[in-house]
Amino acid sequence: MTPTTSDRPVREAENRLERFNADRERLLAEVERRVVARRIAESRAGGDASLEYVLNDVAYCEIKRLEHKKNGPGQSARWRDLSRKLVTMSEEDKQQELRELVRHYGRDIVGNFDPRVYKFATGIGPAMLGVLFSPTGTLREGMAALRNLDARITADGDIDIARACAERGTIVVTPTHSSNMDSPAIGLGLLRAHLPPTTYGAGKNLFTNPFISFFMRNLGAYRVDRRLKFELYKDVLKEYSTVLLEHGYHSLFFPGGTRCRSNIVEKNLKLGLLGTTVTAYKNLVREGMPNKRLYIVPATINYRLVLEAETLIDDYLAETGKNRYIITDDEFSRIGRLLEFFRKIVAHEGSVVVRFGRPYDPFGNEITDDGESIDRAGRIVDPASYVRGADGEVTDDDQRDAEYTRALGRRLAQAFPRLTVFHSTHLLARVLYDELARRAGTRDIYRLLRVAPAACSVAVTDAAEGIVKLRARLAQHPEWGAENPMHQAQAATAVVDDAVRGLGSYHTRAVVTRAGDSLHVEDVKLLYYYQNRTAHIPSES
Amino acid sequence: MTRADTVGIVGAGSFGSALASVLARAGRRVVLWSRDAGVVDAIRTRRASPRLPSAPLPEPLEATTDPRRLAAEARFLVLAVSSTDVRVRARELGDYLDGSHIVVHAIGALDKDGNERVSEVMQQGLPTLKLGVLAGPALPADLAEGMYASMVVASAFDEVRAEGRRLLNAPPALRVYGTKDVVGVELASALSGAYTIALGLCDGLGMSTGPRAVLLTRAVAEGARLCQAAGGEARTFAGLAGLGNLLVRPNERSADYQLGRELAAGGKGTPTEGARAAAAGAELAARLHVRMPVLAGMAAVLSGRASVTDAASLIADSVAVEE
Repeated sequence: MTPTTSDRPVREAENRLERFNADRERLLAEVERRVVARRIAESRAGGDASLEYVLNDVAYCEIKRLEHKKNGPGQSARWRDLSRKLVTMSEEDKQQELRELVRHYGRDIVGNFDPRVYKFATGIGPAMLGVLFSPTGTLREGMAALRNLDARITADGDIDIARACAERGTIVVTPTHSSNMDSPAIGLGLLRAHLPPTTYGAGKNLFTNPFISFFMRNLGAYRVDRRLKFELYKDVLKEYSTVLLEHGYHSLFFPGGTRCRSNIVEKNLKLGLLGTTVTAYKNLVREGMPNKRLYIVPATINYRLVLEAETLIDDYLAETGKNRYIITDDEFSRIGRLLEFFRKIVAHEGSVVVRFGRPYDPFGNEITDDGESIDRAGRIVDPASYVRGADGEVTDDDQRDAEYTRALGRRLAQAFPRLTVFHSTHLLARVLYDELARRAGTRDIYRLLRVAPAACSVAVTDAAEGIVKLRARLAQHPEWGAENPMHQAQAATAVVDDAVRGLGSYHTRAVVTRAGDSLHVEDVKLLYYYQNRTAHIPSES
Repeated sequence: MTRADTVGIVGAGSFGSALASVLARAGRRVVLWSRDAGVVDAIRTRRASPRLPSAPLPEPLEATTDPRRLAAEARFLVLAVSSTDVRVRARELGDYLDGSHIVVHAIGALDKDGNERVSEVMQQGLPTLKLGVLAGPALPADLAEGMYASMVVASAFDEVRAEGRRLLNAPPALRVYGTKDVVGVELASALSGAYTIALGLCDGLGMSTGPRAVLLTRAVAEGARLCQAAGGEARTFAGLAGLGNLLVRPNERSADYQLGRELAAGGKGTPTEGARAAAAGAELAARLHVRMPVLAGMAAVLSGRASVTDAASLIADSVAVEE
């Protein structure tokens, strides 16, 4: 069977978050009920599942966390007290303690949605940001910036089907993650695409920027504290996400986990909360609502320049960061740097492109335009069958569900390259990196970092020729991604000029400079960072 | 017996019939599917498959040509068809399955470029994701005679392995182990066919046990390297699907072994599953930059690029490296 086209009119999808505040207490109560009931049931097995172990795990992790914090030792008294009391506590007392902890962490996580802030952010907010985005800040140019705001952050791709899915069921937007600017960028991207706003989990460290924090707090973001490593917290977090999905709240997860340090198009996805989509759908099937569908919408966020490029690539190359510690003092937390980013970088037309792909179901199946799941052979398949047993009963199997989520992750990782949008900065970086690598006889960044400055000059004509060839290869391989549509009509020399302007304007040190007919690579590290966006494109043989 | 306790077997060839026989004799409900109405009739009337008359197929085993019935009566299916039929059969069967079915294949083969393993081909044709592979030194004739045999079922899904072991275990005739290493088991099972040709060649040339032992151990070593490079576990090749198969397959009833002997005698022989696996495995090894002198030598002989003597010299002269 082939996918069919829907004859239903597609209207702007409803903003379900407007009812979130009214729902909040009910959602929290449901999270508490489920987590407590499950933990008490599991505790009967004893050992690691016993409430004594679970509560002690919380106390131990909290004490360890607070030990390293200023004024931490004072705050840890509550946890030391709990740890001491555990031995003598009755089962009822432990259950009560469990209930209180689940409630406490639930309240720590839960988000808020203020329609007034949303109205501001989607109405006056972009206008204000538009002025910020103005490169020179004069009133006339500021007004021009307002008029061109749509062109600055653009959204394209399979938008109609994503919007139809948001009407028919609940969407889970899963973008690539390369910057802390991703949350506002995808928020604006959804707005441009006339897609509804989503709730999402934001690392608590992001709330250090008061300006962004205000918006995040009031636009449906919930807080994820990655310092809390104990199972009970993860349990509450996952259940919260599951309950939101079951109640039809459109969500957003970054399946790559943390920001991609190297700037490659992510392929090894950590998945994280994405697994809650299978759980939520299974629960809906069990409750007799198999047609309340969930759709996973892949998306890429493509920046002409990345706010935190310097910190991220340093972290990547030093191999200190990756996922081992959370950067709290990068460009995102410095207001001045953020404003400079807005002024100098985002002011450029089409500097951020959000591209949406065709949605999948929670099992990685593609869907028809009507939202029906289709298997790899193109047949319509009942998604509820994936969670049913031999006699049609819904079965619980965490390992099976994790495998389903991995299958979904593989589909997303396959979709991302195709959805990648290359800016002039990526194209020129790739061409120059290829040339440096050809001369040095290696693509190894650590060797190229030691190349003599004299060997880092490339003739403008050679760079333009390289761009022409790269464009031709991209045209033949749509699965690798595509050039920013706004610049496809430009001559290769114009692409070079545009890239040099971008790469020379924002970072503390220019990445590439032009002197007469030559381009000079000043920062090989950042050149590598930007060319990495094309790393999935094989070298020319 | 319930649907959950029924095994569906796709293909009434020698292995499918042998497995069906072992299970049916152990009291398991089996539905055996064949496209060939003649085969189905023969099973119903003579209680044995024409492809393996020595294997009794007692009731409650049922044979059918109706895939809808197979899918409705069994959730757990074993695909036991020729490697050249996998794509078509999976697609055909897929019209009647859904996401709840479990399908394991028992096909030791690779596609011609080594690009896809059988489970990957199946995935393109079936709606279910719960797939696995069944492999090991269980010869159809041995199964038919009820001799002791063991196999391994591999799947990323715990449920597939658990159900495979629950439904296919038929002690003392058949014991089924489990592993997560799908890549390793599929490659080991496919390449053991290729190495069986090499062992046939070795025996046909009248080599003594010394060179034979070297061939066998080098095959296991290089096969393990390929498993690892392809994303599997090296040790899997030393298990039932790799070494286990290599110890049992070199016998007069094996088409791969016979091909090796014919090559030694100067003949060309008929291409076998092992011959196709040799070519595909060599391609895969080249792509993954894995050094496999034995497999490369076999592939060269089978494709006519090298004589038996040249290949033997190439293998013998290959540089011994530290491992």
